[in-house]
Amino acid sequence: MSSLLCVVIDLSIEQWHSSTDFSVSDLFTHLIPFLNAHVAASNDNQLAVFAALPGTSQLLYSSTDDQSQSLASGHNSYPQFQVLDETVVNRVIIHLDTLPDQDHQAPCSLVGALTKALCFINRLTLDHNANTSNAEGLEPIALPDPRILILSVSPDITSSYIPIMNSIFSAQKLKVTIDACQLFGTDSVFLQQAAHLTGGSYLHLEHREALLQYLTMTFLPSPSVRKAIAVPTQDKVDFRAACFCHKNIIDIGFVCSVCLSTSARVFYLSHQIPDENSPASECVTSSGAAQGRVLD
Amino acid sequence: MPSVDTEKPLESLENTKTHPLLPFLQQQSATSLTRLYQSPSSCLSIFRLLAPVERQIVMNILWLESAMSPSTMAAWVTVDGKKLYERSLETLSSLHILQQYPIKLLLNSTFKASLRHAITGGGKTGSFGVPVARDPKHAPPSISVLDGYALERWETILHYMVSSGTGQYPSKPSTGVLYLLKESGLMSGHFQSAEPVITSEGFQFLLQSPHEQLWELLLQYLQMVERRSMDLMEVISFLLMLSTMELGREYSTEQLSQTQKAMLDDLRDYGLIWQRRSSTKRFSPTRLATTLTSSSEASLPTPPGASTGTGAAADGSVTAAGGGGGPGSATGLNAPIPSPSRGLGSGSQQGFIILETNYRVYAYTDNPLQTAVLNLFVSLKYRFPNLVVGSITRESVKRALSNGISAEQIISYLVTHAHPQMRKFNPMIPVTVQDQIRLWELEKNRMKSDGGFLYTSFQSQADYEYVLNYAKELGVVLWENSAKRCFFAQEEGHNNIKSFIERRSGTAGKI
Repeated sequence: MSSLLCVVIDLSIEQWHSSTDFSVSDLFTHLIPFLNAHVAASNDNQLAVFAALPGTSQLLYSSTDDQSQSLASGHNSYPQFQVLDETVVNRVIIHLDTLPDQDHQAPCSLVGALTKALCFINRLTLDHNANTSNAEGLEPIALPDPRILILSVSPDITSSYIPIMNSIFSAQKLKVTIDACQLFGTDSVFLQQAAHLTGGSYLHLEHREALLQYLTMTFLPSPSVRKAIAVPTQDKVDFRAACFCHKNIIDIGFVCSVCLSTSARVFYLSHQIPDENSPASECVTSSGAAQGRVLD
Repeated sequence: MPSVDTEKPLESLENTKTHPLLPFLQQQSATSLTRLYQSPSSCLSIFRLLAPVERQIVMNILWLESAMSPSTMAAWVTVDGKKLYERSLETLSSLHILQQYPIKLLLNSTFKASLRHAITGGGKTGSFGVPVARDPKHAPPSISVLDGYALERWETILHYMVSSGTGQYPSKPSTGVLYLLKESGLMSGHFQSAEPVITSEGFQFLLQSPHEQLWELLLQYLQMVERRSMDLMEVISFLLMLSTMELGREYSTEQLSQTQKAMLDDLRDYGLIWQRRSSTKRFSPTRLATTLTSSSEASLPTPPGASTGTGAAADGSVTAAGGGGGPGSATGLNAPIPSPSRGLGSGSQQGFIILETNYRVYAYTDNPLQTAVLNLFVSLKYRFPNLVVGSITRESVKRALSNGISAEQIISYLVTHAHPQMRKFNPMIPVTVQDQIRLWELEKNRMKSDGGFLYTSFQSQADYEYVLNYAKELGVVLWENSAKRCFFAQEEGHNNIKSFIERRSGTAGKI
């Protein structure tokens, strides 16, 4: 039984600089055996690694890549592992080196990476359906157990609330499980919700030196295995939403009854409520909410 | 399709088939297994053969230095998964991967070290094979050459089996293979004197998937190796090493042990490895070898390296078209090779059988082997260059049944090789045909014979009932007729009933 895993690594330069006890190289020391373990479990297991860099997102590795490039001295390890490890590390170095200096402070493009991961899964699902002669007429069959693991270090960027929520809904539709791990920093509200809504697991890392053990026990089992061996789940989920007007996370807000957009302040809604003659479906609560009909 | 079933959430996990190698390994002693576990490639391959839950248990404790108490681990297990979890632990313990179970959970230290090495990429040199530099004189064999070679070897064996006893004599596999086929009971007959003839096990073997066939033969090989007093663990370790090698790459024979060098000849005969000459110091594993530990179900393709597989399949089709459909190149397209990536490349080519509700079979194939296998249970009518037409009849199925093939095997063969057009129907195989094949099998089992004794001539009804009750308590009564005062009981109960009657009167009943 195969399983598809997409890993999204948050490589926010600002955040990693501020971390004193845990460096990027520590992360990869723990992450690479984890990736290998996923590939090791079955020949059919697929893997893609995405990096969320400041201002941009990149695909670091995917198991559908052409891997014909030969590696000369590779006889101490399984060839697939070697290709995987070298590709991931080399591409991280290349992407970090070529990053323009002014971008270092830019917010991390987590949404970009997440969307790319969803597109990747969607593409494989379509391929899979085309190959199993399910191409025409029938309901597309979802891939077994696709999932996304987000390794995040940045705090929530409240302006990306709507795109993240949209990604979550796409994930639900594709039957993708989203797992999230906050390596350090404050708890992420959005990732908690992402994990909760897609049946995944959210973890705030406490003992960073045991990252590999956390990854193995919590995120390695595929959703079907989790039915037999449980993984940690959240006992409480922060369900707060970001308001559409100021992009702040709010405890109490106003919700438009037509488009369900959330707002911190009431007057944004009141002065633009459509009059009785116009159709109710055209909601113009505020300019921000016009594109934000996330809860259809 | 491993979809999530809401009613039985663990169904997909529980239905995972145990790999045929694992029971064989479970019979081995702890010391020899520990010797096997010294090689990281063996550990990695065995790890792959385990069931998903077993793999997760191994990974959970792989990075721990000290033992874990079973209660700590059990706390993670869901209520539904309890049975599955305990069964997994027992499997692991019988493979000697877990030590000191059930007192604590601790990996075999050799296994732990080797699997860690495999995953982190350390360990002793050459466990995953030693690749050699390019030979300046000869280019390494291309993947399509390797595929063609493996297929040709494998089909020679199967074709030889299927056509034995029919009066045709296709090319013979090597004597080593013939010996193995006879030893395994797939074929019978006196070696070298008469032509061996396929047995009913052999017929069943033909209907299995290539992956199962390959492992069945290899297991027989392992048993033969034991008798030949070769080092069994080195043989297994070499097979597992082959399964971790890369397709299309040449490896050196220098580092192999004496036993393993001796194996090269055998494996060449089975089509697992390719060598330019038997004396060369290099060999290339074929797809048969590199997919040994892949999952047997080729359901979900696109494994790492799939792009090369697709390329190979595309090459194959080009050759087939160019060569005017020569038997060698054209068969490469239709024949199932145990490889998920192959399945991707020629996904639509995999199935070739269309079965209609009127028992007609249309098989789009020109492969003599597939035609011969179909001939086992289909009465063939016409043959065209790319199509064979026949129908499933009572006689043809009866013939198959008398050869030892079961109805289920016929149906599962039809399902696995169904044409993509067939896969749109639900159920895939018409119910009428399925039921009829099963009914034909039941016909064969109409009569059941049991040895026993008939007890008659009871003097009174009371006597009769008294003895009958006793026999019923023993549970041996097969038939009774109180009007005629006689009953029939199984052989096992005879002595008891006899002494019971004698004890009762001595003359009351005559036997």
